[in-house]
Amino acid sequence: MNIKETLEKIFRDVFEDEDIILTESTTAEDIEDWDSLTHIQLIEEIEQEFKIKFTLQEITGLKNVGEFITLVERKLSN
Amino acid sequence: MKMQEHEIEKKIRSISADQYMEIIKLARAAKKNSAKKADIKVAVIGTCSLQYFVMVLKVILLKYGISAEIYEGQYDGINMEVFDRASALYCFQPDVVIVLSDYRDIKEFPSLFDTNDAVDSYIKKNGEYYSEMWDRLSEIKGCHILQANLVTPVERVLGNLESGVYYSRRIFYQLLNIEMTKRKRKNVTIIDMEYLASIAGKDKWFDRKSYFMNKLPFSLEQIGIVCDVFAQQIAELKGKIKKCLVLDLDNTLWGGVVADEGPLGIQTDPNQAEGEAYLEFQKYILELKNRGVILGVISKNDYETAKEPFDKNENMILKYDDFSAFIANWENKAKNIEAMANELNIGTDSFVFFDDNPAEREIVKMYHPEVTVIEVPENIAEYVTALERAHPFDWLNITKEDISRTESYVSNSARKTLQIQFKDYQEYLKALEMESEVGPLDKNNLERFTQLINKSNQFNLRTQRYSEGTISQMTSSPDYRLLTVKLSDKFSKFGIISCIILKKEESECFIDTWVMSCRVLKRDVEKLVFNHIVKEAVNWKCERITGEYIPTVKNKLVKNLLPELGFELIETDDTGKERYSCSVELAKYNKTMIKER
Repeated sequence: MNIKETLEKIFRDVFEDEDIILTESTTAEDIEDWDSLTHIQLIEEIEQEFKIKFTLQEITGLKNVGEFITLVERKLSN
Repeated sequence: MKMQEHEIEKKIRSISADQYMEIIKLARAAKKNSAKKADIKVAVIGTCSLQYFVMVLKVILLKYGISAEIYEGQYDGINMEVFDRASALYCFQPDVVIVLSDYRDIKEFPSLFDTNDAVDSYIKKNGEYYSEMWDRLSEIKGCHILQANLVTPVERVLGNLESGVYYSRRIFYQLLNIEMTKRKRKNVTIIDMEYLASIAGKDKWFDRKSYFMNKLPFSLEQIGIVCDVFAQQIAELKGKIKKCLVLDLDNTLWGGVVADEGPLGIQTDPNQAEGEAYLEFQKYILELKNRGVILGVISKNDYETAKEPFDKNENMILKYDDFSAFIANWENKAKNIEAMANELNIGTDSFVFFDDNPAEREIVKMYHPEVTVIEVPENIAEYVTALERAHPFDWLNITKEDISRTESYVSNSARKTLQIQFKDYQEYLKALEMESEVGPLDKNNLERFTQLINKSNQFNLRTQRYSEGTISQMTSSPDYRLLTVKLSDKFSKFGIISCIILKKEESECFIDTWVMSCRVLKRDVEKLVFNHIVKEAVNWKCERITGEYIPTVKNKLVKNLLPELGFELIETDDTGKERYSCSVELAKYNKTMIKER
């Protein structure tokens, strides 16, 4: 599973919606329940899944799923 | 897919409080659910973000069988809502108000070098704020307040000196927590968040990222554990109170199996790590009893074997009399829980079940979802912490009656106390208000009858063992009479405590079997039974009643039973078997203090 697929799995799990399909341009606007609360949940799940820890500034600047993927890639390569 | 409330309720029961992701998912599902009629109205107010708390509290309350309507206060809204009688909070008319105070609420502190008196008056001033808030909230009719105390933060500007000077912030928070406790009114319960945080460890408790992003007062990981503590208090308010701790014996109170290793062979050695762990656990249990928790034993063992360590093993910290009910038999434990509830006259929903055997836990969970079943860890060193983590005995308050209650529930102890009050034993027996029912064996009681006959060792004249099939055949034979004796007194219902098999042998009525449970010794039950034996003999038109005493290692207790009832010894053989006989005509009727039904 690549990063995008793993993220998709986590998104589907958190939002309990099997129909979610992520693209690089997916934003919070596109997913009904994606609010500040579910965002925290997403971060926790992603941190656990990839065994990484985001900094506050990393997650506040995210604009879309594409940036999410780039961020995870960068954290994993460090 | 929409989950119904009862499905969510069922699922939430099997989730442990630290599986926070699962809990949040269920909470989200429950949120979407149109709630059935609420049992209780809960308002949550605080200074931090309350959304998660409210969402999760709702679903955890379902675990306790409580459907709640929850009011979510505004962000940083404590002062605004509490001190405005026209606020939405007052309109909501909650039964319970949860006040999630936070250390960040405190903006002013003592200054460096303030005198102790100055600090104390500062504390008083802050304390008055809480008193005033509680007074205001108490204007809501019947409202109970759950007040979170302050989790002292990780920051220590003065470093270690924070504990070295009285004017430090750390001391200030600590004193303020104590001040809350001192000032609390009757309808206020302090929720010890500081303790919960210390158990989690403060590095884990505080999630700074989530605070800055979302104003979460503590890490999401703790949400289930925290809400569970609040939910349990609400359950207590609704009368769902756990009163009785039911314990297993083998590998729970001691190491090993007493039936195999004997009362002295079991592991209770204070000089060995394992033994010490069991003894620590016993000590903790004893302290629970001293604070009013009723103790019970349900063990798969012979009663005598199960009791032996309490009599003979000097290492044992718990004594037989510490238990209000002691059930050791071979019944399944779900059934025994019902029996114990009957005996103690409390509901099974007030039980907490602690058993090292997962199969036993499963069966209890299955038949009694209302019983709190502790997930006992394999590691005995963690027994105490497992009970602590489940915090089943988080009572809203503790009264002197609670303490005396354990005593009054200790039926045996209670009887003993009663005994002291009466100099005359007959007077004591009278005060027990015993009632008995003696009658032919009912088919429904075949199992109990067989069990008593095959398990009784002490009060057993001939120690004849019969299968259920054989006993069943006897009931349909005109030559046999099978009697059961039920007994109850003002403390307990004992159920069937004695079984008798009589056999007609021409003009003689032969006592083939006579067993009795040792729980009811010295109550003249045997005299009452004898009256019935005579009655049966008369019905059969027999001239004599004959009986035998066949000695075993365990039945010395009944060696003199027959002569004491007026039988004459007619024969002793070389095995020690004694044969007795008694004339039906001359048999005397015994008066007892037992009322017959």
